[in-house]
Amino acid sequence: MKHIKTLTNRTLCESAQKGGCGECQTSCQSACKTSCGIANQQCENKAQKESK
Amino acid sequence: MIHQYKLGGWPIVVDTCSGSVHVVDDIAYEIIAQYESKSRDEIIADMLLRFGRRPGVTRADILECYCQVTELKDAGRLFAPDTFEPLAGELKKRSAGIVKALCLHVAHTCNLNCAYCFASQGKYHGDRALMPYEVGRQALDFLIAHSGERRNLEVDFFGGEPLMNFDVVKHLVAYARSVEKRHGKNFRFTLTTNGVLIDDDVIEFANRECSNVVLSLDGRKEVHDRFRVDFAGNGSWEKVVPKFQRLVQARGGKNYYMRGTFTHHNPDFLKDIKAMLDLGFNELSMEPVVCAPDDENALTEEDLPIVLDQYEKLAELMQNRRKEGKPFTFYHYMLDLAGGPCIYKRISGCGSGTEYMAVTPWGDLYPCHQFVGEEKFRLGNVWDGVTNAAVQEEFAACNVYARPECRDCWAKMYCSGGCAANAYHATGSVRGVYQYGCELFRKRMECAIMLEASRLLDDE
Repeated sequence: MKHIKTLTNRTLCESAQKGGCGECQTSCQSACKTSCGIANQQCENKAQKESK
Repeated sequence: MIHQYKLGGWPIVVDTCSGSVHVVDDIAYEIIAQYESKSRDEIIADMLLRFGRRPGVTRADILECYCQVTELKDAGRLFAPDTFEPLAGELKKRSAGIVKALCLHVAHTCNLNCAYCFASQGKYHGDRALMPYEVGRQALDFLIAHSGERRNLEVDFFGGEPLMNFDVVKHLVAYARSVEKRHGKNFRFTLTTNGVLIDDDVIEFANRECSNVVLSLDGRKEVHDRFRVDFAGNGSWEKVVPKFQRLVQARGGKNYYMRGTFTHHNPDFLKDIKAMLDLGFNELSMEPVVCAPDDENALTEEDLPIVLDQYEKLAELMQNRRKEGKPFTFYHYMLDLAGGPCIYKRISGCGSGTEYMAVTPWGDLYPCHQFVGEEKFRLGNVWDGVTNAAVQEEFAACNVYARPECRDCWAKMYCSGGCAANAYHATGSVRGVYQYGCELFRKRMECAIMLEASRLLDDE
């Protein structure tokens, strides 16, 4: 698109289809301990990744 | 709900409920701002007034841009509605009783005496103790037994200072490795340490067994030594920095985080980030101190604009260093725009008290390390499991829809409702909201999104 560049692929709605496996790393389990969000976690679900 | 902002020269639009991120030009930025409140003709007329004099900008051009916005809306990537509340309890219901991560407090004691320690210098307001091997082994057995079909299990060696109980740590890891295949599990170990007891044995062990190590360093020597002192009051910077450097080098400069804490005494924490970079560390994390709001070290309202500005300047520094071929990582700025966590994870919160628990040296279970020592939050123990169902239910109910303040927050799908401990310390309830933390989080997300946008588009 000329005026808009979309950087993301699947939407959160689409991620519901194969999501919810629970394998992703617990967000606190690393360097932050209090400021955690889940934004910086990675999806560990191969099926989910392939659906991108 | 959308969030529009300009940072680092990039006009960005975040669509909260689709998770979409768009980089736009000035015309699209203004059209999107008015899209939901004005008619098409009103918007086009306004755009002609604003931009009509620019070379190449015609009515047809503006109309085309308007249609692109409409196209994105129709595709569910702009102004997407929030339809996920019915899923809110879904992941936790599916995962009820499942535990996948433990924070093992192998030491409720410490060889430093840091005044700002959230854990009252490692003792968590209780007795000094080291976790016996048998308790740790029972914790691992508990984890395996309750992990359901989860393959990846996470165990964090924590404290106090876990290296004061290093023999038990090694013994527990050996035990886990001896049983994981039989149960179809894969243990991922993390070690958090103040560095004082790092030696070749620790380095060899960490490289062999730990997927990550978290190294406590506050940055500048004078900042670090303000709080991180031994029992004689001597600063620890001179002692731990060379040890950290050796360990990081031995790990190939990867799979570690320098983990700093900043306080009211150094809201200009970017100087501490730079100090860590100068020491050769490139994987960084910096956290605001955890303490009561009226504590002398707590960040104040006056500190807030300084800290927010520091986050922006940090993002600028990262961009510049990347372009110079000297990139570094900042934990909270890591972001995967191609996917990242699915909607279930996004709305279900951090997992404390449900899939993640802390274990004390006596085998007691707590929702996380922050709640250890608060008796009313004790969940049970590693022999009997979770017996305090009411408290677990309270944590199970923590999700992005549990707090009214989150409803209108554009960052909710990145935050997932925030830290229950911060909420509790700020408001007396885990369902509360630590507003100060929210301000910091939103700024960090703006920076993280901008950085990733910049990286993707600069590469093009």
